[in-house]
Amino acid sequence: MKVLVPVKRVIDYNVKVRVKADGSGVDLANVKMSMNPFDEIAVEEAIRLKEAGKVEEIVLVSIGVKQAQETIRTGLAMGADRGILVVAAEDVQQDIEPLAVAKILAKVVEEEQPGLVIMGKQAIDNDMNATGQMLAALMGWAQATFASKLDVDGDSATVTREVDGGLQTIRVNLPAVVTADLRLNEPRYASLPNIMKAKKKPIDEKTPADYGVDVSPRLEVVKTTEPPVRKAGEIVGSVDELVTKLKDAGVI
Amino acid sequence: MDFEITHEQRMLVETVRGFIKDELAPLEQEIEETGQLPDEIARSIFEKSRALGLYGMNIPEEFGGGGLSALETMMVEEQFGHTTDILIRRAFGNVYEVLLSCEGPQVERWLLPSVRGDRVCSIAFTEPGAGSDAAGIRTRAERKGDKWVLNGMKHYISDGAFADFFVVTAVTDPAKGHRGISMFLLDKGTPGFNIGRDQPMMGLRGTSHLDLHFDDVELTDENLLGTEGEGLKLALSVLGRVRLAQVAARSIGKATKVLQMTLDYARERVQFGQPIGEFQMVQQMLADSAMEISAARSALWQCAWEIDAGLDPRARISVLKVQGSETLGRVVDRAVQIFGGMGYSKDLPIERYYRDARIYRIFDGASEIHRGVIAKSLLKGGAQLFDPWGA
Ligand SMILES: Cc1cc2nc3c(=O)[nH]c(=O)nc-3n(C[C@H](O)[C@H](O)[C@H](O)COP(=O)(O)OP(=O)(O)OC[C@H]3O[C@@H](n4cnc5c(N)ncnc54)[C@H](O)[C@@H]3O)c2cc1C
Repeated sequence: MKVLVPVKRVIDYNVKVRVKADGSGVDLANVKMSMNPFDEIAVEEAIRLKEAGKVEEIVLVSIGVKQAQETIRTGLAMGADRGILVVAAEDVQQDIEPLAVAKILAKVVEEEQPGLVIMGKQAIDNDMNATGQMLAALMGWAQATFASKLDVDGDSATVTREVDGGLQTIRVNLPAVVTADLRLNEPRYASLPNIMKAKKKPIDEKTPADYGVDVSPRLEVVKTTEPPVRKAGEIVGSVDELVTKLKDAGVI
Repeated sequence: MDFEITHEQRMLVETVRGFIKDELAPLEQEIEETGQLPDEIARSIFEKSRALGLYGMNIPEEFGGGGLSALETMMVEEQFGHTTDILIRRAFGNVYEVLLSCEGPQVERWLLPSVRGDRVCSIAFTEPGAGSDAAGIRTRAERKGDKWVLNGMKHYISDGAFADFFVVTAVTDPAKGHRGISMFLLDKGTPGFNIGRDQPMMGLRGTSHLDLHFDDVELTDENLLGTEGEGLKLALSVLGRVRLAQVAARSIGKATKVLQMTLDYARERVQFGQPIGEFQMVQQMLADSAMEISAARSALWQCAWEIDAGLDPRARISVLKVQGSETLGRVVDRAVQIFGGMGYSKDLPIERYYRDARIYRIFDGASEIHRGVIAKSLLKGGAQLFDPWGA
């Protein structure tokens, strides 16, 4: 079976995000960019399936600016086999919206015919949490979102999902879309030999036009602002003092 | 001139950095308190690191190493500086390039097992009467028939307790001065070779620093590393890169880590109603540290680039030995100052960095010795050290 893993280039989770002065978005010029952490988990899961002998090939796809090639290389260095880079934007500030991404992915899926798509539940830059669901809808496939456990068995998969209030286990027929949650696994480091091997793995370069998809934005960002500054905490000496303070603050 | 860091280099550094943060840093405090890294933990970090290809990265691929260029070696060595001496040794290996001089049966016996991490090597040059003056050693190897007989002693030998074998300097021809010194590979357990005391040190907790005693130790020609009489020449030609890596690059990495911690503290610690980072006298210390670190790193990369380009790096390595270690010294000293009492207290690792930093200006040739090398090179006409346009 072949697995397709979409990976997105996002601002690194360690970077202290700065809002641009004109409020049009977050400053992405000259900041560290990395693979979306949930996508890393998806790549790791695909590699584990391959190591377990359930998957033959792992194909990565990234849609965005040309530099997303590095994101693909990172996944190849973890152990994926090849990549497809869809260059859909020139400006590093431009984000491709979930529907456009899902439409391109649908075309890639038609071409590649994977038995499974594993992807991050959301990207940490704009937290849409939509692409996986849209892709499943476009393909008419089963979807298992927020996965914290994945077992592939023949032509079905058993997925434990992290839902409000607990865990839900479902079985889906393959092909299907699975989106990875935080606890699915802990991604590995790229080993030195794999980093060297990744240089030689192939990456196909495409454009949205190759797939006949229009990526122009449908959403308009009205304003971006810094989150409100959290007020400093206070250390209290005893439970009594805590209760008094909470009462004074009118919270209890 | 291209200062761009490649994506491969970035990925490699991220792996090393992540490994140090997740696997090694959590062990540091306990080693500091007990002075020990338990064998089973040493084994486990070694195996994890080896599985990632992070052991012996400086050694060429044909001998099973990681095959990194000098520049890439310095990039990862800088990261090593974020953790402690003993953890670097166990996780990444100090696989000395001098072992690349192994020939014939020596390759299987000493070089390859060292690169695999199956055997660990220490360097044993220093004696109570001969430190900076490495040619002043008294340890003597005398030829007797087809054997060598070794007598004498060494001290301060890092990691001696864990090491399986030692690269030892000994006088083979007393009449020839520094051209009468040779290097030997000496296995632990060889009859007549006795391990002495472990010298307690100011810092580097967890690493042993042993006395070694040689009483009529019988060796064969297979133990002789390189050519007879060329021991010091060999040391000079190959230990420079080690010095650049283990002293200069690690110092710069340590300084970088300490400055980051200092910045975090200067932002958070409030006195007189504002973060102490708002006070100009504190700001000056922060700015000075950042300037010195970034100057030292650029010089490090230039020196590594020269090695990769096949140029003679010796004088510049001396520059970096001093620049790196003294930058670290100033940066940790300012860190203690900015942390105030917390910098002196054992509740934070700053005082440990301060103690650990001190040796970098002494071992592998004290600052004074390297300044001497630099000055000699300048006086002989080595203007390139400070003037790339010069003759
Ligand atoms: C923690 C630690 C680990 C070590 N690990 C090892 C190891 O693994 N293997 C090994 O072989 N050795 C090791 N050493 C020894 C180390 O390399 C020596 O301590 C170092 O070379 C200095 O020698 P010394 O201590 O004899 O000092 P000395 O040579 O006695 O120097 C004392 C002072 O005199 C100055 N001085 C000496 N000569 C001159 C000169 N010509 N001009 C100006 N000033 C001069 C020095 O700079 C220094 O300030 C280690 C030492 C320590 C402390």
